[in-house]
Amino acid sequence: MTSTAPVPTLHTFAVRATGVDRAFGGVRALRDASFSARPGEIHALAGENGAGKSTLIKVLCGLVAPDRGRVEVNGRVATAFQELSLLPDLTVAENLLLADPPRGRLGLVRRGRLAPEARRILERFGVDHIDSRAVCADLPVSHRQVVELVRVLATEPRVVFLDEPTAALPDRQVEWLAGHMRRLRDEGCCVIFTSHRWREIERLADRVTVMRNGTHVATREKLAEAEAVTLMSGRTLGAMYPEIPPPATAGPALSFSDPGGISFDLRPGEILGVGGLAGQGQRELFLTLFGAGRPARVTVDGRPIRIRRPKDAIRAGLGIAYVPEDRKAEGLFLPLSVRDNITLATLGRRSAAGFVRRGAERAEVAGIVSRLGIAGGGAAAGTLSGGNQQKVVMARWLLADARVLLLFDVTRGVDAATKHDLYRLVAELARAGKAILYYSSETEEIAHLCHRVLVLREGRVAAELPGPVRDAERIVAAAIADGEAHA
Amino acid sequence: MRDLAGRLGYLVLAATAVAYLAVYATGLGRLPTAFDYLSILNTTLPLVFVAIGQSLVVLTGGIDLSVGGTVSLCVAVTAVAVTGFEQLPLVLAIGTACGVVNGLIVAAGRIAPILATLATLPIFTGAALWVLPVPGGSIPPQIRAVLTNPDLPTGLIWLGLAVAGWLVLRRTRFGMRVYAIGSDAGAARAVGVPVERVTFGVYALSGLCCALAAVFYVSTTTAGDANAGAPFILTSIAAVVVGGVAFTGGRGSAVGAVAGAAALALVIDVLFFAGIDPLYQALFQGLFLVVAVMLGSLAMLLRRAT
Amino acid sequence: MRRVLYAFGAAGGVLLLGTILHPGFASWPSLQAMLVVASFTGFVAAGQMLVVLVGGIDLSIPWVLNGAAIMLTTTALGQPGRLPYALLVALAVGAAAGLANGLGVAWLGVPAVVMTLGMNGVLQGLSLGLSKGLTCATCGSYAPEPLRGLFPLGALLVWAGVALLVTVVLTLTTFGRRVYAVGVNPRAAYLAGVGVRGVTVALYTLSGVFAALAGVMLVGYGGQPSLGLGDPYLFESIAAVVVGGVSILGGRGHYAGVVAGALTLVAVTTFLQAQRVPEYGRLMIYGLVILVILLAYGRTRAHD
Repeated sequence: MTSTAPVPTLHTFAVRATGVDRAFGGVRALRDASFSARPGEIHALAGENGAGKSTLIKVLCGLVAPDRGRVEVNGRVATAFQELSLLPDLTVAENLLLADPPRGRLGLVRRGRLAPEARRILERFGVDHIDSRAVCADLPVSHRQVVELVRVLATEPRVVFLDEPTAALPDRQVEWLAGHMRRLRDEGCCVIFTSHRWREIERLADRVTVMRNGTHVATREKLAEAEAVTLMSGRTLGAMYPEIPPPATAGPALSFSDPGGISFDLRPGEILGVGGLAGQGQRELFLTLFGAGRPARVTVDGRPIRIRRPKDAIRAGLGIAYVPEDRKAEGLFLPLSVRDNITLATLGRRSAAGFVRRGAERAEVAGIVSRLGIAGGGAAAGTLSGGNQQKVVMARWLLADARVLLLFDVTRGVDAATKHDLYRLVAELARAGKAILYYSSETEEIAHLCHRVLVLREGRVAAELPGPVRDAERIVAAAIADGEAHA
Repeated sequence: MRDLAGRLGYLVLAATAVAYLAVYATGLGRLPTAFDYLSILNTTLPLVFVAIGQSLVVLTGGIDLSVGGTVSLCVAVTAVAVTGFEQLPLVLAIGTACGVVNGLIVAAGRIAPILATLATLPIFTGAALWVLPVPGGSIPPQIRAVLTNPDLPTGLIWLGLAVAGWLVLRRTRFGMRVYAIGSDAGAARAVGVPVERVTFGVYALSGLCCALAAVFYVSTTTAGDANAGAPFILTSIAAVVVGGVAFTGGRGSAVGAVAGAAALALVIDVLFFAGIDPLYQALFQGLFLVVAVMLGSLAMLLRRAT
Repeated sequence: MRRVLYAFGAAGGVLLLGTILHPGFASWPSLQAMLVVASFTGFVAAGQMLVVLVGGIDLSIPWVLNGAAIMLTTTALGQPGRLPYALLVALAVGAAAGLANGLGVAWLGVPAVVMTLGMNGVLQGLSLGLSKGLTCATCGSYAPEPLRGLFPLGALLVWAGVALLVTVVLTLTTFGRRVYAVGVNPRAAYLAGVGVRGVTVALYTLSGVFAALAGVMLVGYGGQPSLGLGDPYLFESIAAVVVGGVSILGGRGHYAGVVAGALTLVAVTTFLQAQRVPEYGRLMIYGLVILVILLAYGRTRAHD
């Protein structure tokens, strides 16, 4: 740590990608993407979900081979991945020392030395709240994130990739990380990171590269947020979001009251936003309401109902539907046809003696496919684009006559044009009287689309803002202000 | 509670051992002699070796069904060709070669382990039949005296060596990587673990373990049989499972599997001394397996609840 | 569907090779004999395929089959009048074993390999113990005449019926749709309101019934049950399923492919017997054929 790195003179870049293409299945994640970062700088990669940032990082660090194009790297690379690369069944110490464990005579690993050695590494980075003997799967996500970062920092790399390093970190740890990023930069290391929080990019980055639809859009030293958003989305702000109709004045379609600290009424036609920093209990709330978490008690049309499994929530008369962020894991059956995907939840209704009535099915599917504008209706769901896949999941629940829609980060990994389609669809569904609970990792969306916003922190409602809020910073401020008060 | 699941094998072995002592004592009115212990040990050794190899494979999230064929082939070669210690390396090489074939198919051919080893099982069994068409053959007495001496506890030394071998392996980088792959192969690859190479090595070692098991098998039975390996497929899986090795990989240890193997062997004696018709033996072994695993998943559930 | 064609291609290839080297290999009497032998694999593989479709596996097939076979002859006592009752009892044994497997896997979370392996032991112990090692007073009974008279054509009709039933259930019914959904993505299926546990239990139960049916047909064919009757059918059923193009990871496959898979395996064995290849060579070539087929279309996709 004492050695001051010589500033390389031979290379003006630490990493460079030129004209890189990469496709997964039918989806082109990178198209003719180029990128370059220098030694001794903190370089932010900005872009919407699905812009290709994570894929670019994987290509640059050699985990994914490009289909076309050239990648050059100078010096040792270390990467902290967004989907953590910690091994869940191993201890913190084993994870930290997997590459270079302490060895004694005969080159055998000295297992007794693992924990103290790891503790020393953690302490070197000022981490004293994590037991190096703990099994990683047992740690809370924020601790795992810290371990992942220490694992990366401890290798003393020349190039560091940090993909969404702060997504699961509380504020104090964000400061901790910022300090180490600056130190690495000052030692001549090239630090490349992505973040969803513009404040962090502004504060930390020496330069920013903006990506859109898998390609390089701009690299700047100074970039104002408004311009960044325009560059990232490819259109000017405001015009993107449709006008949302006022909610009906009828009584609530759904009431939820949880002794844990969240209660709300959701009226027909209302879009209720759920905001806050990532991982503050939003996902748990959505899963609970859908019967896939803890058993929940809700009131529908004044009747108290217990939901213990998704089947209960879906049942006609209740009509709750969940559209997940991770469509591939939780929503879709990729090898199956669009038809099979759409009709799965309503098979019972279109059957006689257990046989699917194919005529009725064909007509219904054709109707909903054209109504939502799903392209590629005859093919397997896996061949569709992200946006069309999300529409397939929505179509399933519209066929089920869902009255309450739980939309959890549905625009994740969707291109700008389809996002626009989805916003319009959400507004249209609200107009048709659906009650909608809406969460997005892009706070902008919640600020513009929702009638009302609940800001969550640590599983409780920290603030309730009347909407449309329009200014996303107000939601972030509410999430953070409260956080600091509690911390 | 994680520890409890990991120590399942030892708990089950302890419980079985207590049951064994109890039924033996009530049945015969005395405690077992050193001779009794030694004969149990000697007959268990082959399974111990196969279970160690199987647990290595299972720790990476795979499975090796071909152990039946590999053991058969090595039993046949041992019974036919081994006339002194100098031929033993040949047997070990043949077993390892079988493992190498599996490793290549799984790691380089990208075929699911259960299918790859299902296909090599009849190939190895066929080779065993070619070497030894009818049961027979022999093993030199000097090898018997060293491996499974019925009067001297040589078996204890080999058991100790087997466990020590595992403990050494656990302390190599290879050993750490085995757990890393079983825990999450994708993440292991991302942090630089050579997944294919380690996978290959694990199957090769399983083959070597089968060869060792075969030598000990012929040494206890004093003759060979080209179908001798077949029962080891299921018993080795049972030993691994009872020993607390997670089927999804990444959790457990080969020592647990050794305990599991010993427990499975003891159960047979428990049934015998309890006066239960040996025809019902499989029934109790099956129940034993399922109940032991249910206890394991119960422990995991409790852990999650806390 | 492409894999089903590959599977039929493999079966056709072996038959063609046989005809070239042995005129009459694919003649009707020879083909009929092969089909009868293949039907036994076909029955067990039907059940095996159903559990493989949801990512499971059934290792209890050998002794479910054997137990049901013993149950049939000891209940029917060779009397045609007792046959319907005996059939019911034999199939019920299979259903009960399968149900227990399903409950263990779906509700208690026991890994399928362990649960079904344990069940195999339980049934082996019960079969041996209750029949006193097949030496009991009624153990010498033969299968009643109507059952033995089924062969060969009647047995093939039964197989055709099973093929039709499985195919119709999987492709035309709501249950079939749910099976594939659970096989492809159990989490998403659960979140779409599919009773994942119920589907799983049903499939294991069916697997037990099909294994029992294979036992019934085998005693009809051989006249009397023997110990170890079901042993060859464990690996044979998995091989037929895999050669038939069913993905071991679940969610993909059709029974038509499994039929072709069973035919391929039997044709290979018959061909090798016709070539007077000794047993060791038959085993090795049999394994190599499975290996080649796996390398041709059984590979998992490369890592992205």
